[in-house]
Amino acid sequence: MPVSTWSRALCVCLLIGMFPSLPLHAEEVRSESMLANTCAGCHGTLGASAGEVMPTIGGMDKGYLVEVLTDYKTGRRPSTIMGRIMQGYGDREISAIASFYAAQPWVSTDRVAVADQLAEAPALHERYCESCHQDGGRSQDAESPRMAGQWAGYLQYAMQACRDGERCHPRKMRNRVAELSDAQIAALAHFYESQK
Amino acid sequence: MKTLTRRTFLHASALSTAAVLGGPSLAVHAATPPKARVVVVGGGYGGAIAAKYLRMSDPDIRVTLIEKDSAYVSCPLSNEVLGGERDLASLTFDYRGLTRRGIAVMQDTVIEIDPAQHVVKGAGGNRYNYDKLIVSPGVDYDWAAIEGMSEAVAERIPHAWKAGKQTQILRRQLEAMEDGGVFYIVAPPNPFRCPPGPYERAAQVAHYFSTHKSKSKIVILDAKDAFSKQGLFQAGWQEHYGDMIEWVSGAQGGIIEAIDPETRTLMGSFEEFRGDVINLIPHQKAGALAQTAGLANESGWCPVDQRTFESSIHKDIHVIGDACIAGAMPKSGYSANSQGKVCAAAVVAAINGDAPPAPSYVNTCYSIIAPEHGISVAGVYRLDDGRIVDIPGAGGVSPADADARTRALEQQFALDWFRNITSDMFT
Ligand SMILES: Cc1cc2nc3c(=O)[nH]c(=O)nc-3n(C[C@H](O)[C@H](O)[C@H](O)COP(=O)(O)OP(=O)(O)OC[C@H]3O[C@@H](n4cnc5c(N)ncnc54)[C@H](O)[C@@H]3O)c2cc1C
Ligand code: HEC
Ligand code: HEC
Repeated sequence: MPVSTWSRALCVCLLIGMFPSLPLHAEEVRSESMLANTCAGCHGTLGASAGEVMPTIGGMDKGYLVEVLTDYKTGRRPSTIMGRIMQGYGDREISAIASFYAAQPWVSTDRVAVADQLAEAPALHERYCESCHQDGGRSQDAESPRMAGQWAGYLQYAMQACRDGERCHPRKMRNRVAELSDAQIAALAHFYESQK
Repeated sequence: MKTLTRRTFLHASALSTAAVLGGPSLAVHAATPPKARVVVVGGGYGGAIAAKYLRMSDPDIRVTLIEKDSAYVSCPLSNEVLGGERDLASLTFDYRGLTRRGIAVMQDTVIEIDPAQHVVKGAGGNRYNYDKLIVSPGVDYDWAAIEGMSEAVAERIPHAWKAGKQTQILRRQLEAMEDGGVFYIVAPPNPFRCPPGPYERAAQVAHYFSTHKSKSKIVILDAKDAFSKQGLFQAGWQEHYGDMIEWVSGAQGGIIEAIDPETRTLMGSFEEFRGDVINLIPHQKAGALAQTAGLANESGWCPVDQRTFESSIHKDIHVIGDACIAGAMPKSGYSANSQGKVCAAAVVAAINGDAPPAPSYVNTCYSIIAPEHGISVAGVYRLDDGRIVDIPGAGGVSPADADARTRALEQQFALDWFRNITSDMFT
């Protein structure tokens, strides 16, 4: 930020401090919770989704959230609606929103595994996915999301989008997901959903 | 990380005639004197959220929610009841979840607000003292705008613009209608609750007709010359229902001036229309309580400080949801949810002696045109010179050229939107 903007922001802050009734302008900082609470109408209170295709976002890694939200904003990650919404936030706001959700507890779905839904999923996971999505999909970092306890409907949607080439990085994952059948994708989705 | 604590409350003297909702484990009075008393009137999309987010952000505030009904029936997705896709039970919610959060939920009808004494009066004689009051009463109807219409006539010519009994009346009439009949939807002028609602309704009923009485027709008589998500709706109607739905704009004669309920005849500016079933959605204004409490201005809606939702007329009373004038935000459940959170944060700040926080608001409305065809509109807003304005470049409607897969996904997201927004309200 150029110095002039800084000093102007500082000036506004000082003025606000001195005269609380002064009209505030667009530069004023919106708090993490103020920004993040607007997402809860779609993603659930504190980001714990009530289902089925709408993903849980509370408890995700901050770095991952920043990357994903920025990718929605730039259009790098295609979406039905997130792209339109993220246009409304600046980089610092995206970072604030990410901090808020990263600080929430992850709440897994209460779905349990049904044996015949899983079929070969555990084996597929071990063979093709565990190297990056470790510990049964429980691991997460700034690059890849937690999948254990995420809603199957969302995971299925994400895997299909990856297989069909709409969006998928890294390439290595794309190569593996590309070979999965619909049934295998469904089985993997139920597998991850049932891992808590 | 913020930790949410669920405080245990002692059950002191239950207030006389008002029923307490949400089962026996009630929380009426806190053990220690509260930091402040906030009363919320109306347990719908705005009020339930304001009450919950107040408790979440400051558990030392005593929150009382007053709602006239024992259960809440959601308008969102109620068009699916008209289409025969779901029942009202799936749209009905109780207040136990809010009681568990330590909110005193009272079943009572507020008949009077005394802004000078900071007292709310219930129908049964109860008085509720407040330091801050939040009112989210929804909408009321301006019956006089169409000659021959009244609340009594609406028992036969339903509006179904508040979900519940009205929805059932209209559903039964549609079921009883003979194949080949004409169903009229009379759409109101702006502003009104749920701008895409009448057009989604036409699609849902067309879905029912096309599978059960395919020779029937739907005509929308509109007071307006344009409507929300118009291009997407008209393309979707055509795609799924051919010419079954006809839209008559205000300029083309869609403005309705009078009705004869006996013959089910609508009098337009050029023409008369005789319908087999008529759904007349009346002109709207802020809920009755807002009118009697003097919170509305000559427009029929409530002017507020759009940063805090504090009434411009009465201090310490905030108005949210459909009833308030909220700049660029449409009157929707998502807007009410977003406003409830901004308002709760402003009220908490005021109680704690802090400056009102910089607000952030969002709206989204999904509409379901067919079982695998959903569309949406979104808006992201900020405050500019005291007015809620659209953030340029953000929001907007689903792309006109979206493929079938995207449409199907949006229909699924619409249902999940409902799951999450209602869990945000009631759990
Ligand atoms: C057919 C239809 C479809 C819709 N679909 C959508 C949609 O898909 N998405 C969307 O975002 N919005 C939708 N809406 C709009 C949405 O229903 C409203 O915008 C929303 O309900 C507004 O919330 P509110 O809190 O202002 O009012 P309400 O939700 O109506 O809540 C008002 C509450 O106050 C209570 N009350 C009123 N007066 C008193 C009193 N004196 N004492 C005690 N209690 C009182 C009422 O009983 C009620 O429970 C739809 C509306 C309709 C009609
Ligand atoms: C209108 C409903 C809606 C709102 C509001 C909304 N989202 Fe989303 N979100 C979705 C949908 C739907 C998806 C799936 C992607 C898509 O199609 O847009 C999604 C996907 C996401 C994902 C990807 C999850 C993953 O596992 O990769 C994140 C993160 C996310 N949203 C965060 C947010 C945040 C933060 C906000 C608030 C600033 C927000 N969302 C507001 C509907 C919404
Ligand atoms: C080379 C490492 C790697 C491998 C192998 C891999 N993934 Fe991933 N996966 C990632 C990364 C990185 C992301 C985050 C993608 C992003 O940022 O959009 C991810 C994301 C995902 C997502 C969530 C996408 C979203 O939009 O929320 C799913 C589901 C997923 N992987 C499934 C799988 C499955 C199933 C396999 C095995 C068939 C697999 N992955 C193999 C690295 C990998």
